[in-house]
Amino acid sequence: MVPAMTAPPTVRSLDSDLVRESLTRPEAFSALFDRYAAMLYRYVSRRLGPEIAEDLVGETFLVAFARRKSYDLACEDARPWLFGIVTRLVSRHRRTEAARYRSLLRTAPEDVVESPADRVAAGVTAQASRPALARALAGIAARDRDVLLLVAWSDLSYEEVARALDIPVGTVRSRLNRARRKLRAALGDTNPLREEA
Amino acid sequence: MDDLTTLRDLGRDLEHEPPATLAHQRRRLLDTASGPRWTFRAVRPLWTLRVTRGWAALGLAAAVTAAAAVAVPVVFRTYGFQAAVGDPSVTAPRGERPPGAEGTLDILFVGTDSEALNPRHRAGTGARSDTMLLIHLPAGRKKATVVSFPRDSIVRIPSCETPGGKPVPARTDMINSAYDKGGLNCAWRTVESLTGIRVDHVVETDFSGFAKLVDALGGVEMTLPRAVVDPKAKVRLPAGRQILNGRAALGYARVRYALGDGSDLMRVQRQQRLMGALVKKAEKLTGDPAKLAGFLTEARKWVRTDPGFDAETMLAVAESLRTVGPGEVEFVTVPVHPHPEDRNRLQWDARGAERLFAGLRKK
Repeated sequence: MVPAMTAPPTVRSLDSDLVRESLTRPEAFSALFDRYAAMLYRYVSRRLGPEIAEDLVGETFLVAFARRKSYDLACEDARPWLFGIVTRLVSRHRRTEAARYRSLLRTAPEDVVESPADRVAAGVTAQASRPALARALAGIAARDRDVLLLVAWSDLSYEEVARALDIPVGTVRSRLNRARRKLRAALGDTNPLREEA
Repeated sequence: MDDLTTLRDLGRDLEHEPPATLAHQRRRLLDTASGPRWTFRAVRPLWTLRVTRGWAALGLAAAVTAAAAVAVPVVFRTYGFQAAVGDPSVTAPRGERPPGAEGTLDILFVGTDSEALNPRHRAGTGARSDTMLLIHLPAGRKKATVVSFPRDSIVRIPSCETPGGKPVPARTDMINSAYDKGGLNCAWRTVESLTGIRVDHVVETDFSGFAKLVDALGGVEMTLPRAVVDPKAKVRLPAGRQILNGRAALGYARVRYALGDGSDLMRVQRQQRLMGALVKKAEKLTGDPAKLAGFLTEARKWVRTDPGFDAETMLAVAESLRTVGPGEVEFVTVPVHPHPEDRNRLQWDARGAERLFAGLRKK
């Protein structure tokens, strides 16, 4: 930590500055890649798996680059914008995504059977509920799932999710509620530990 | 436990760390960001330049070549249809030609983007060459070089004749126009004149016929180590053993995400697997006269060569293509930069191109 404190203070430029700069100096856009590519990769790898994630992240930045002129320079943080593009690109892979979640149905239960005595541990609870969770995820309407996963997996605030998807914040809340109701129903139906809690 | 917490746990378990190859995506962005100026030069050393444009066509070309060079002769060898794809109207350039180095074999491959070989198109001019590749096998056949000629290249095209004997004057034009205006003979002459490499044989294939041919074979059996998914190529193949129909095989050959130089090796391996599967299938076919007839009907529409490119030669090519290791097939593009008069066209880098061709002329 100390070296960071003694290092000369570096002023991190705002994302919006980088976008503005890229209008006249296109190479500047690559700084956004350096900032966010890994983060976006992790997000996409969760939803679609690593096979697709790499190419999709590349495509995200190509789309973003092509649309940089329409970027709202008042938004200092480009993450909502990038996540919005990612979400639209992910939606082209709906079947892959559903298949990815469904594949969890087959693999998860075995993990649990191996150590029934540890069921009370929180980690195992998550394992035990996984098939139900996976089934629920695959069954949630795509629009609702987009909101749910941006909230749960991307650390965006409701306002940022709204900006990413270009919908009102109220809609973010209602979609999130609907998705979570389904999740809870699924978890409650199949996970006895939850009922005890 | 809270549902969102459970969901976050699941997310963490599903997450993968970015691989080092993610850097290729950065380069892809930079290629775009810095404009056509840089696409071919700055990002990679001139010399090891791999195909960035027309990769799909190249993958396709490899698969098509594989089928042409492998499946066709296996069947023909058995049944003695040696002349079935040789077209007597396809003739080597007349007059002075480059001398060939001892033991080398150079094959010009022209892939067309229409059903040019379909009889109803044969007389017309609608066919356009989509891909031109020179497959170079040095003496000894230890490696192979596949030279891609970018289709937007503006080059000097020598005078030649159409198959009907109509003269086509010399001109400066897009390289593909050699085929489009003068047919296979003109393409042959043009490539020899541009490269100084003696082209021994020409193969013309029709991409759209590839799928039909695979279907005529009854599909190819492949075992995929993992699922192949590419919505752009409309491919969704599960992992495991399966029979690919023509469409799927075509898709498999042109899948995109597994390309890029980090996984070039994989692409070549895939194509070799496809070649192997085609050979197996073609060998089986020789025992089934009904299917064989269907296959030959398709093959005649789908591949055309000069008459000298007989089954034995094809087989030799097929064998060498199949035995060179994935690391020994080199894909290169003629070095180019934007054309000074038209930034959307390409001009060959004279020195780089000459260096490339000189290397191939020697061995």
